[in-house]
Amino acid sequence: MNITQLTLEQTPPLSVPFRFFLTAPLFGILAALLLLGSGPTIFSSRWSLEVITLTHLLTLGFISMVIFGAFLQFLPVLVGSPVPYPRLVSTLLHLLLTIGSLSLTSGFMMTQVVLIEMALVLLGLSFIGFMSIIGYSLIRTKSNAATVTAMRLAWLALAITVVLGLILGTGFGYGYNLSSLAKLTNLHLGWGLLGWVGLLIIGVAYQVVPMFQITPPYPAMVKRWLTPLIFLTLLTWSGFYWLFNLNNFSWILFGLMDLIGIEFSLFALVTLQLQSWRLRKLPDVTLDYWRIGMIGLLLSFILGLAGLIWSDLSDTPIYQLQLGILFIAGFILPVIQGMLYKIVPFLIWLHWQNQQLNILTPVRLVKIPHMKQIIPDRWARYQLWVYFISLILLIIVALYPSKLIYGVSMSFMLAFALLTYNLYRSLWLYWSVSQQLIAKSMMENPIS
Amino acid sequence: METITTLLSQQHHDCDKLFAQAEESVATTQWECASVDFDRFRAAMEQHFIREEQILFPQVENHMGHTEGPTAVMRMEHQQMRQIFTEMAACIAHLDQEQYLGLAETLLILMQQHNAKEEQILYPMSDNLLNHQLPSLLEQLHQLGNNKA
Repeated sequence: MNITQLTLEQTPPLSVPFRFFLTAPLFGILAALLLLGSGPTIFSSRWSLEVITLTHLLTLGFISMVIFGAFLQFLPVLVGSPVPYPRLVSTLLHLLLTIGSLSLTSGFMMTQVVLIEMALVLLGLSFIGFMSIIGYSLIRTKSNAATVTAMRLAWLALAITVVLGLILGTGFGYGYNLSSLAKLTNLHLGWGLLGWVGLLIIGVAYQVVPMFQITPPYPAMVKRWLTPLIFLTLLTWSGFYWLFNLNNFSWILFGLMDLIGIEFSLFALVTLQLQSWRLRKLPDVTLDYWRIGMIGLLLSFILGLAGLIWSDLSDTPIYQLQLGILFIAGFILPVIQGMLYKIVPFLIWLHWQNQQLNILTPVRLVKIPHMKQIIPDRWARYQLWVYFISLILLIIVALYPSKLIYGVSMSFMLAFALLTYNLYRSLWLYWSVSQQLIAKSMMENPIS
Repeated sequence: METITTLLSQQHHDCDKLFAQAEESVATTQWECASVDFDRFRAAMEQHFIREEQILFPQVENHMGHTEGPTAVMRMEHQQMRQIFTEMAACIAHLDQEQYLGLAETLLILMQQHNAKEEQILYPMSDNLLNHQLPSLLEQLHQLGNNKA
C-alpha cells in the first residue's frame, strides 16, 4: 500500500452521490405509473414488454442508480483511494445512466428500435465507465476483507450481466431473432439479481449490519465462504443451463437454484439473528426495512422451494414473475431504501460539519441540525408503512391477478412520492442551513 | 497474537457497548443511570483517542515524515466527535431526550465510519509500518490505559 497517496479525507462533493439518490425515486414513480397504465394484464406473462420495461425502470433507474451513487461516495472509505475528478465522473455517469435507462424503457414501450440502439450505447458506456473505476480500486486494494471479496465477485457478476444485456439488446435493437432468447434472458436475470445485486448486498451487510445496530459480527465461516459459494453455484447453474438440454437436466437446474436459495436464506437468517442480538434496541426505520428485506428474501426462497415440490405451481406462466417480484420488491428495494435513510442524513450532516470547520473559527461554531432533524423519523416511518402495505398488496395481486393492481400502483406511487419528498426536503434543508453558515462567516469576516 | 489492529479494534467494540447502554438509559428516561453511563462512555472514548493521538499517530507520522494525511483526518474526526460529546452532555444536564437521541444517531454513524477507516486501513498499515517496534508500542498503549484507569 502506498501510504503517501493514502488520505482518509476523501469526502467527494455532496452533489456527487446526491444526483443519483435524488433521481432514483423518480424512476420508482415512473414504474408505478407504468403499473397503473398497464392494469391487470401486466402480470399475464413475464415476457410482455410492460414487464421488461417495469423491470428495467427498477433495476437500472432505481437500484443501479443508488448503487452508483453509493459506490462513488464510499469507495474511498473502503479501499483508501478517491475517485478521480469526482464531479466530472459523476456528471457523466449520471447522465449516461439516466438517459440510457429512459431511452431503453421508452424504446421497449414504443418498440422503437432506434431508442434501444441509443440506450445500448449510453448504458454500455455508463456501465463500462462505472466498472472501470470500481474495478481499478478493487484490484488496487490489498485488502481481502469479506466485503471486498464480495464486491469483487459482484463486479464479475455485473460484467456478465452487462455483456448479456448488450447481446440481448442488440438482438432486440436490430430485430433479429436470437435462438436462445429465453436462455440468455434468464442468465441475464440470474447474474444481475442474484450475482450483482445479491452479492453486493451481502458484502455491504457484513459492514453495516453490525455497525448500525451494534450487533455481533457475522460468523467468520459465513463471511469467508458464503459469497464465493453463491458465485460458484450460480456459475455451475449457468453452465448446465446453457450447455445442456433443459428437459434432461431439469432436476439438476432446480437443485442448483434451490442451493442458491438455501445460501441466500442462510444469509437472511443469520442477519435476522444478529439483529435480534443488537445492543441498540430503539425503533429504527433502517432496521425495519432490512428486516422486511430479509423476510422478502426468505419468502422468495420458500416460493422457489414450493415450485420444486409442486410442478403445478412452477409450470404456471407467471411463476417466475412472482419469484422476480418477491426478490426485487421484497428483498432488494427495502434494503436499498433502508440504506438511503442512513446515508442521506449522515452525508448532509457531514458536509455541514466540514463546511463550518472550513469557514468558521472554532469559537464561533454554530449548532447544526442532527440526523433525526434532517429526515424526521415520523416521515421516514410513514413512507416505510406505505411501502410495506404496497408490498403486501403487490404479493397478493401477483398471486391472484385482479383489479387490485390499480390500488397497488397508487400505493407504490405514494410510497415513492414520499421517498422523493423525504429526500428532496433534506436537500432543501441542506441548502438553507448552508446559506446560514455562509452568512455567519460573512459576519465573522466582513472584509472577505 | 496481539497487534495494533486487534487491541484498538477491541477498544472500539467496548466503546460501542457503552454507547448503546447510555442511549438505552436516555431512551427509557432513566436520567441518573444515563448520566453515569454517558460519563463512562465518554471517558472510554477519550482514553482511546488519547492512546491514538499521543502514542500511535506520532509514530506513524514519524515514519511518514509529515503530519498531513490519514492521521490528520483522524485527529479532525476526533475533534468532531468531542464536539458532539459536549452537546450530548448538555442534553443530559437539561434532560433533553429528543436532542440526545438525534445526536446519538449522528455520533454513531460518524464514529462507525471513523472506526471502519481505522480498522481497515490505518491500523493494518500501522502494524506493517511499525512492525519492528510493535512490542514496545503495544506496551505503551496498554500502560497509558492502566495509568488512566
